[in-house]
Amino acid sequence: MTSLTLRQVSVSLGHGDARTPVLRGVSAACRPGELTALVGPSGSGKSTLLAVAGALLRPDSGQVLLGDTDLAQLGDGGRAKARRERIGYMFQSGNLLGGLTTVEQLLAAASIAGRPARRLRAAAETALGDVGLGHRLRHRADQLSGGERQRVALARALFLEPQLLLIDEPTAAVDRDQAGALTDLIARTARARGCVALVATHDPVVVDAATEVISM
Amino acid sequence: MYLALLELKAARGRFLLMGCVVLLVAALVGIVSGFTTGLGDDTVSALRRLPATHLAFSPDAKSDQFARSLVPAETLAGWQQRPGVQATPLGVTITRGTTDRHAEVDLAAFGVEVGSFLDPAVEDGQRLGGDGQLVISRKLAEEGVAIGDTLTVDRLGIALKVTGITGRASYGHVPAGYVTTATWQAIRFTAPGASTPAAGLPQQYSAIALRAASSADLDGADGELGTRTVSVTDAYAAAPGYTGERVTMTSIQFFLYLIAPLVVGAFFGVWTVQRQPELALLRAMGASRRRLLGHTLVQAAAVVLGGTLAGAALASAVGLLVGAEVPFSLPGLALTATMATVALAALAGAALTLRRVANADPMTMLGAGR
Repeated sequence: MTSLTLRQVSVSLGHGDARTPVLRGVSAACRPGELTALVGPSGSGKSTLLAVAGALLRPDSGQVLLGDTDLAQLGDGGRAKARRERIGYMFQSGNLLGGLTTVEQLLAAASIAGRPARRLRAAAETALGDVGLGHRLRHRADQLSGGERQRVALARALFLEPQLLLIDEPTAAVDRDQAGALTDLIARTARARGCVALVATHDPVVVDAATEVISM
Repeated sequence: MYLALLELKAARGRFLLMGCVVLLVAALVGIVSGFTTGLGDDTVSALRRLPATHLAFSPDAKSDQFARSLVPAETLAGWQQRPGVQATPLGVTITRGTTDRHAEVDLAAFGVEVGSFLDPAVEDGQRLGGDGQLVISRKLAEEGVAIGDTLTVDRLGIALKVTGITGRASYGHVPAGYVTTATWQAIRFTAPGASTPAAGLPQQYSAIALRAASSADLDGADGELGTRTVSVTDAYAAAPGYTGERVTMTSIQFFLYLIAPLVVGAFFGVWTVQRQPELALLRAMGASRRRLLGHTLVQAAAVVLGGTLAGAALASAVGLLVGAEVPFSLPGLALTATMATVALAALAGAALTLRRVANADPMTMLGAGR
């Protein structure tokens, strides 16, 4: 099983004189099968840390080890490959591709990863059933509630069995009951799949469910 | 590819609408191209059929040469003496006539020497045999003139017996007919109402048709004989209305070729701006820039090729519907070339948006800097 380790990660954003340090020498470790909560006030660098951990952003210095691979050393193409093959994302909003059905959302991810999407339809339907959306297979994003959309995003993030699951504010757009159910689903799934789950959140429900908490 | 097709299906209404716009532009270009070729044929096909390399006009005729130029018989004799050159007289006059079956027709009378290289071969009937005979083009036959008819030139009373039918040929949108040079001179020089004997007519022609070897000194002959020689192709401009029509139709085509990339580029520009969040999501999910560019090109190609093919079909259908009455000609090669140009222009328009596609920033999915 693969763990995520950040060592002395520093990131500055902006250009020239406006370049501002956002992360200064951050170190952290996330174990597989566990839910790690990333907490801190707005502007503390949670999203930047997620971006660095998820190979969306290359740090100025430090190491980002996903297993034995240092994501900080990869070029643009290498990081894109890591994202499509090893990392699953669930963003705060805008997770779903417009006009596509829930099944097609998962098949799109498979297509990007170079998998034979047409042959994975049954697997996609099963994955959606696993997150309680077996009755929503032909629905498009605009026909789903906020919680359902987040569950589709979770199903898609997990569909290709990633080693690292990165989630940004998963409960921001859902009510308290749905937040609890969604958090429970994430924690259970991470445990069952044995993947690292790193969640940036303000929500105490998520923090309470986490086995580790990283404070920024 | 799969993802590109998914997106095409998901936004089929928008893509279909764009495809319809491409279809209309392509059809319009095809139709204009058909009319350009058709009108051109209708104006100069009789000149195109002339088995000559050059035409020598009188030097005073700078434009509209077939109407203005008059070359005397002495000049013809001079040209016939030149080495490397075959020369024969040519007369061109547009007139009108009525057949003995009361069909009123326009006639572009081409005066040629019997047995010369300009003497036309016939598809039906007999070749030109002497004065007072007329070999008509297929187009005139379609207007109701038949072999055996007698066509009388209006106001001159000159009777022409139709002896044969040659291929389709017209000049200045008027069907061509071939007569001897003596008959042509009678038509050209007889004053309406007068009855001038043929012997009294000036021995002059509109031009001298030349078959010149590449080694022939045409400039030298022009200098010595007092003529102005142009290639047959250059002589098309002397046909009535040819240059004006061509410039007009080509201008329309040119602007349509400009409009195609602008319209397609504008559509894909707006489409790309609208889907920036989705492009960012796809990049975040690991889609490479090359893959996204490929998707965009596949989608553009589907819209452009679908629209262009449908436009080609529509233009061809218009060509069939208008029939032989309208000067429309869109041969397969011209249609293919025209549609390929439309498709390339439209794809070039779509390509203008590729930079924006390539620059989609996956960081926006995390609200960078939040």
